[in-house]
Order: sequence, then C-alpha cells, then structure tokens
Amino acid sequence: MLLIHCPYCEEDRPEVEFVYGGEAHIARPLDPAALSDEDWEHYLYIRRNPRGRHHERWRHTHGCGRFFNAVRDTVSDRFEQTYKAGEPRR
Amino acid sequence: MSEAIAIPALAVAGTDLALESQATTAAGVALTLEPPASRWSLRARTADALAAVIGRPVPARIGETRDGLACLGPDEWLADLPAGTVLPDGAGQPVSVVDISARGVVIRVEGAGAARTVASGCPLDVERFAVGRATRTVYETVEVILWRESETAFRVFVWRSFAPWLWHALKACERA
Ligand SMILES: [Zn+2]
Repeated sequence: MLLIHCPYCEEDRPEVEFVYGGEAHIARPLDPAALSDEDWEHYLYIRRNPRGRHHERWRHTHGCGRFFNAVRDTVSDRFEQTYKAGEPRR
Repeated sequence: MSEAIAIPALAVAGTDLALESQATTAAGVALTLEPPASRWSLRARTADALAAVIGRPVPARIGETRDGLACLGPDEWLADLPAGTVLPDGAGQPVSVVDISARGVVIRVEGAGAARTVASGCPLDVERFAVGRATRTVYETVEVILWRESETAFRVFVWRSFAPWLWHALKACERA
C-alpha cells in the first residue's frame, strides 16, 4: 500500500484515504472573459504531463478533508514531498 | 482437495437493512450499537474561535480529542455529547454549528481482539493508533470516524445507510 504524507495531519496515511486532484499551481485567470478561446482552452485542458517530477494536487478526502500539493515522480510513483495548499511551488 | 471455506456474505440484502441492536460477542470482541447521543459538526477558522462560541475547551491538533470533542481537520471538529446537549449556534459569527445527531450511528467494538477486528478493513496502522485519538478514515470502502477509547475499545462512527453493511462486515470479521 502506498503511503502519502498529509501536510495537515502531519503523518503518513494510506493512499485509499486520498483523491487525486490533477496538476497543481494552475492559477484561474483573473478576468476569464478577457481570454481568447485558445487561452481558455489552455487553461482548462492543456497540462504538462511530464515524465518525472510532477506537481499535483491531492485531497485527503477520507481524513482531514484538505487539498494540498505534492511532488510525485510519474515514472517511479514515488512521492518526493507534499506541502500545504497556497505555499509556493517546490 | 481442501475443504471448502464458508465465507459469510457481506452484501446487504433487503432483510439486513434493519440494524441489529442486539450486541454480539465472538472471539473476544463485542459489537454494540451505542444509544443515540447529541452530535455536532463544527467548523471554524481556529480552535479558539470555536471555543469562544461553544464555551467548551476545543482540541487544536488534528486527531486529538477532549471532553467529547475530536479535531478532524484544520477547521473541522466532531462533538459527541450526552443526549439532549444543545450547543450555541453561533449566529452572526464566522462558525458553523450543525446538529448531526440523526446522521449516523456509533458501533462500539470492544474486547481483546478489538484492534484486530477494526484492522480487518481499516488501512490505518490500528495497533499504533493511540488511545484518545480520533480520525476520519475508511473501513473497506465506507467512510468512518474511528475513535480509540482504550487499548481494547474503539468507537466507529458511520453514516446511517452504511451502518448495516458495516455491522455485518465487522461481525463477519470477528467470527473469522
Ligand atoms: Zn490530512
């Protein structure tokens, strides 16, 4: 079983308590109406999908309920680190 | 050829939907449905802000419990208080105080094999889950709040519609 460190609970918890939330650090446009169709498409759908280090959101749904960010290696599935939502990209 | 192993059915049939209130005991574990109590879901930005509204000490660390209150998340608490207890509603303040007394039930798992029974479906390291701690987690696929009262007693909070299944699953485990 994969263990994920929740930065709010401050402990390693079983993966089944968590839900994946997609790529992290995607800022919602401040003025969505001003975006071109292409920009809007990019914001909604285009993701980096890297091989290796990936910054992604997770939610400790069946735990403290909080969203947080994680750096996970998409090749090895190893979690490098997790940090609270709102903290800068690591 | 080995003998066929009888596996108790876990699927809930229509006839199972009434929760058994009869306590069962097997293999050193007793399952009991706890009587109704006054239960509240509490949300606030900080423990102090909540304490000021409800006039009770509020545990600040996630997982910690105190006087019937459990800290479930950075801004969320569960209150499990004697039936009839009413908390101030905090009107006009940035808190949420919601009566959830009817939302769920509590199954008490007690006895020498209690930790083993809970661990049969809970992915936490139950043996090392300290006495006096509470947390939201899962039992198989059912969300529960697990509250360890003593070395040999756990309280499992579960939403009403999941309760018959959970009861049967725990019972099947203690028989196994
Ligand atoms: Zn957590």
